[in-house]
Amino acid sequence: MAAFEPVLLRNRGVEGSTTLKVYESRGGYQAVRKALKQTPDEIVAEVKKANLRGRGGAGFPAGVKWGFLPKDRKKTLLCVNGDESEPPTFCNRVLMEHDPHQLIEGTIIAAYAVQAQTVYIYLRGEFHEQFHIVQKAVDQAYAAGYLGKKIFGSDFSIEMYLHRGAGAYVCGEETGLIESLEGKRGWPRIKPPFPAIEGAFRLPTVVNNVETLSCVPHIIERGADWFTGIGPAHSAGPKLFCISGPVKRPGCYEGAMDITVRELIEREDMGGGMIDGKHVKAVFPGGCSMGILSADELDMKLDFDDPRNFGLLGLGTAAAVVIPHDMDMRVVLRNMARFYGTESCGQCTQCREGTAWMHKIATRIAADAGRPEDLDVLLETARNMGMMPGLSICGLPDGATFPIETTVKKFRSELEEYILAQPKGRAEYLLRVLN
Amino acid sequence: MSWKAIDRNQPVIEKDAAPVLSEAVREKIRSFFPRYETKRAVLLPALHIVQNTLGYISWQAMAEIAEILEIHPADVMNTTSFYTHFWTHPKGEKVVTVCRSISCEAMGGAKMLDTIKKELGIDEHGTTKDGRYSLVTEECLAGCDHAPCLLINEKMHKCVKAEDIPTLLADVDNNKLSMPRSDLFDPPSEKQAASATMQDSVVGTTSDVSEMREAE
Amino acid sequence: MAKIIIDSQEIECRDGVTALQAAIEAGWDVPHYCYHPGLSVVASCRLCLMEMKMPHPQTKEMGWAPKLLPSCQTPAREGMEIRFNTEKVKKNQENCMEFFLLNHPLDCPVCDQAGECHLQDYSYKFGKAESRMVDQKLKNPKKDIGPRTLLYSDRCVMCTRCVRFTQEVSGTHELSIVNRGSRVEIDVFPGLPLDNPLQGNVVDICPVGCLLDKDFLFQRRVWELKRGESVCPGCARGCSISIDHVDEKVYRLKPRFNPKVNDWWMCDEGRFGYEYIHDKKRISSPLVRRGLEQTTPNWEDVPAVLRYRFEQFVKAQGGAKVVAVLSPFMANEEAWLLAKFIRDVAPEASLAIGPVPYEGDDQIFPAKASGDGIKFTILKEKAPNRKGIESLLESLGGSTLTCEQFVEKAGAGEFMAAWVVGGYPKPWVDKDTAKLAGKFDLLVAQDIFENEFTTKADIVLPACAWAEREGSFTNADGLSQPFHWAIVPPDGARRDGQYLFEIAGETGLFSAARVREMMAASVPNLSQVYESQRKPAHAH
Repeated sequence: MAAFEPVLLRNRGVEGSTTLKVYESRGGYQAVRKALKQTPDEIVAEVKKANLRGRGGAGFPAGVKWGFLPKDRKKTLLCVNGDESEPPTFCNRVLMEHDPHQLIEGTIIAAYAVQAQTVYIYLRGEFHEQFHIVQKAVDQAYAAGYLGKKIFGSDFSIEMYLHRGAGAYVCGEETGLIESLEGKRGWPRIKPPFPAIEGAFRLPTVVNNVETLSCVPHIIERGADWFTGIGPAHSAGPKLFCISGPVKRPGCYEGAMDITVRELIEREDMGGGMIDGKHVKAVFPGGCSMGILSADELDMKLDFDDPRNFGLLGLGTAAAVVIPHDMDMRVVLRNMARFYGTESCGQCTQCREGTAWMHKIATRIAADAGRPEDLDVLLETARNMGMMPGLSICGLPDGATFPIETTVKKFRSELEEYILAQPKGRAEYLLRVLN
Repeated sequence: MSWKAIDRNQPVIEKDAAPVLSEAVREKIRSFFPRYETKRAVLLPALHIVQNTLGYISWQAMAEIAEILEIHPADVMNTTSFYTHFWTHPKGEKVVTVCRSISCEAMGGAKMLDTIKKELGIDEHGTTKDGRYSLVTEECLAGCDHAPCLLINEKMHKCVKAEDIPTLLADVDNNKLSMPRSDLFDPPSEKQAASATMQDSVVGTTSDVSEMREAE
Repeated sequence: MAKIIIDSQEIECRDGVTALQAAIEAGWDVPHYCYHPGLSVVASCRLCLMEMKMPHPQTKEMGWAPKLLPSCQTPAREGMEIRFNTEKVKKNQENCMEFFLLNHPLDCPVCDQAGECHLQDYSYKFGKAESRMVDQKLKNPKKDIGPRTLLYSDRCVMCTRCVRFTQEVSGTHELSIVNRGSRVEIDVFPGLPLDNPLQGNVVDICPVGCLLDKDFLFQRRVWELKRGESVCPGCARGCSISIDHVDEKVYRLKPRFNPKVNDWWMCDEGRFGYEYIHDKKRISSPLVRRGLEQTTPNWEDVPAVLRYRFEQFVKAQGGAKVVAVLSPFMANEEAWLLAKFIRDVAPEASLAIGPVPYEGDDQIFPAKASGDGIKFTILKEKAPNRKGIESLLESLGGSTLTCEQFVEKAGAGEFMAAWVVGGYPKPWVDKDTAKLAGKFDLLVAQDIFENEFTTKADIVLPACAWAEREGSFTNADGLSQPFHWAIVPPDGARRDGQYLFEIAGETGLFSAARVREMMAASVPNLSQVYESQRKPAHAH
């Protein structure tokens, strides 16, 4: 297979790639110059034509999102969603670490396209080094006149501010992010009104993922046709895939959305296969919210559509983590349940109570005190919390149910074995002691 | 006991207590106002700055932030309690944030956490007696390619092996970043404190733009 | 009026309401916690989810959407079709009830809310009998969050109504949400307790037993209480209230929905201002003084005694020396009956209005709001019926006086016979007024507590508290609203309306409605009353 010519990661590994000088020397900030000569509508049309689907997880086309803005708006805001919190995803981190100017350039173009003069880059609180890198890059861009008043000598002015989160997964949801930006708890808002109509500070707001915006300069520079030429039609463009777990080369790799999970794990230029003679027992292929694949489902294509055929929620963030054969599935179950139990915002009933309940059950099972019926309770709770289409304000509970449901369904025999192997009466004993 | 209600009528802030936020800190918080449409939106930056200055966000600090942002102290409490990053009681000099996401768990994160607990002699959310270390866990630090990983203050330590932990914790520089830092959320420097207002600078940046332009 | 279809039945609903409100008003009992018509919509309890017909994204053909939608958030639009009677909707309600009860302590036997608890009602109606959770429950603490209110977090369903109330209605922001996930709680900032003039409402809107009124705590099981409909006499606003009572004792007052006056709310001053009703020092029987001799007459003799005394006086000194002072705490009907009697025995008699108490300034909520932003007002005029009495005096004509004119003329000795009505919950006779008490040859004092007038009066009549009376009050906006008696007067006393009815020469039982018919000719504007419609029992 021909090596993929990296687009988003082309500056990774280049000495000083975070500096303006190196970025420009490698052709940076040309796309924005080109864009500023076009009308905003032309850029929106181009991005629509490229069918740039959001890389944050939902896969909603960015150009269509921009098109939702009301025509007679006075002030527009653009928020860059850098609250990457989905385990095991780190592609935004890599982009910001190695190529912050690419993000800034994409953001300027997007801001021009939607005529947003204020941009907030929302970074999760755990990103410290990345914050300093991006902030320094923003400083350089200001100094060069690429940000601020009348950028590049055009009539367009733009202010770019970094806003740091403080540890909340749900702030990656676009309305949760908006609430957090407003200084409130990150409780997602009810929709409608959608952010494009009434977002942060009640102004029309566009929220785009870091990776989505990093694609924008390339679409402008090379055209929508080039972009749609990469990968299958419904999942066009370069995509970053993350692979972690016990593989030889854990990391972030770029490719078209035509590879399979197996390729991601085993290809020499990607995961490179398993370490220490371990073999794959299961994979969370798209961030844990999308659900789990068993070892015989590794031929799933990493595009926006195929995951549904395997009982998963979607492509998600295309970040895969490999569960090795020697890992206890009860631990995986507990880890998943704990994540959502800790990160549920507490607003909607199903999610607030359901995630905590699943966490209790999963913890108990992992502590050798499971009951055979617990697995059914888990499955039913997952379903009652609202599988797609969801029952709650945001998608977090959907994301919480998929890993639980798929793990219990696909690894039921293993989990049952563990439960049956427990000392007799232990569950009853523990329950009596605890209660 | 379970019938006993916690008394919330009693003030936790002493009357006539001296302010905990210096004028320089207040001015730094106010310098964020032009960035947002509302004063309330400055709450997260303000909490970061205050935590970086005082180490944690005390009741009194919440009340003082509320005063600066013209909101009710209960609203500050509301936001502060939502985010795991903010401490409402004193923490250690260095905070060890251990990732416990699925990738780290698959790569031996639990063992790493146990070793740290044993080494420091504290449990999660605990602080060592000498006040040097606090230990917390986070759901995912987005460092899965370097699992298992942990943060010590701002510095990320990657691919941490359980046997390396004693050396890591003994290292005095284990929290120092070797890179240019932005002072956006840092305690106000003496220079900022002296100049008090930062009106002339470009609000989006943390560096002196004119100086940078000259250097170009 | 929009027409919408709910469960295949076409109904008409008010314009601009949500599907949930339309369904509730049309009689559907749709479970809901977070939705309250007086607060913003957050759609977080997810109990009111419904199915709705929507156009298919591709074919545009109308069909039932696969996703359940929150009815509290969906506006009712002409022709929309929704349903609640499906398996899917019912299953969600059942699941939600299971989730709500997961960590609930099930302490109904010691919970004040039991009996009017929507967790109980909904569990019974929409939930299932058992919980499948075997693990330990979360135990959130009980908190004393203010001088009058307790918060038992373990019973909370996180509807956040109380928080939104303090943000949107009282504008005082004391309550807030802390923590996240299953650990969320309602709390106040320590030292800044929930202490605003409207705080009692948070207890009313709490659908479960989480927020508790210390005044009512452990006093009575709610199913024993009887509910009387009344109007608050605390200020000139005239909020609609209900009086919860049993065994002739008032246990609590609750606001009653009235879109023209108070919406869903009432203030603490009114809510807790009923204690005086059960004061032991109340005057409870009539009294006739002849020199040093004091007798307690039979109620049957009182009309004749009064008529005789006044007729004798008028014969001796002339009707122009007679004055009746009508208290702004009297109902319109009572005032009319008294005026009728006085003008009957002395057509040239003067009618005056008693002093109107004022305290501080009008308070609006949220503070600094204006126009439609004002959610509630407490008036400085602390009497329920100044407007009604003034209106009555104006309609009746003849010699009518303001309070100041009465004080001045009585001080100058122009009146020798007076019938002075009090009925104020607080002492009302100031130094200057007190001097008047000794200036009359014939003094009738009708009051609730002893004061300079009652001690010097020739005839004392016990006045009743408003909870024992019947009639109508006209509020500051000129709206006349009826109130009904909830409890009987103390032993020995009679309702003011009843004895004034008899004194005015009528026979039989007093009824405010009947008196209003009699008033129609002389005071047409007070004979019409407005009573707000009752909310359906399942709306809360």
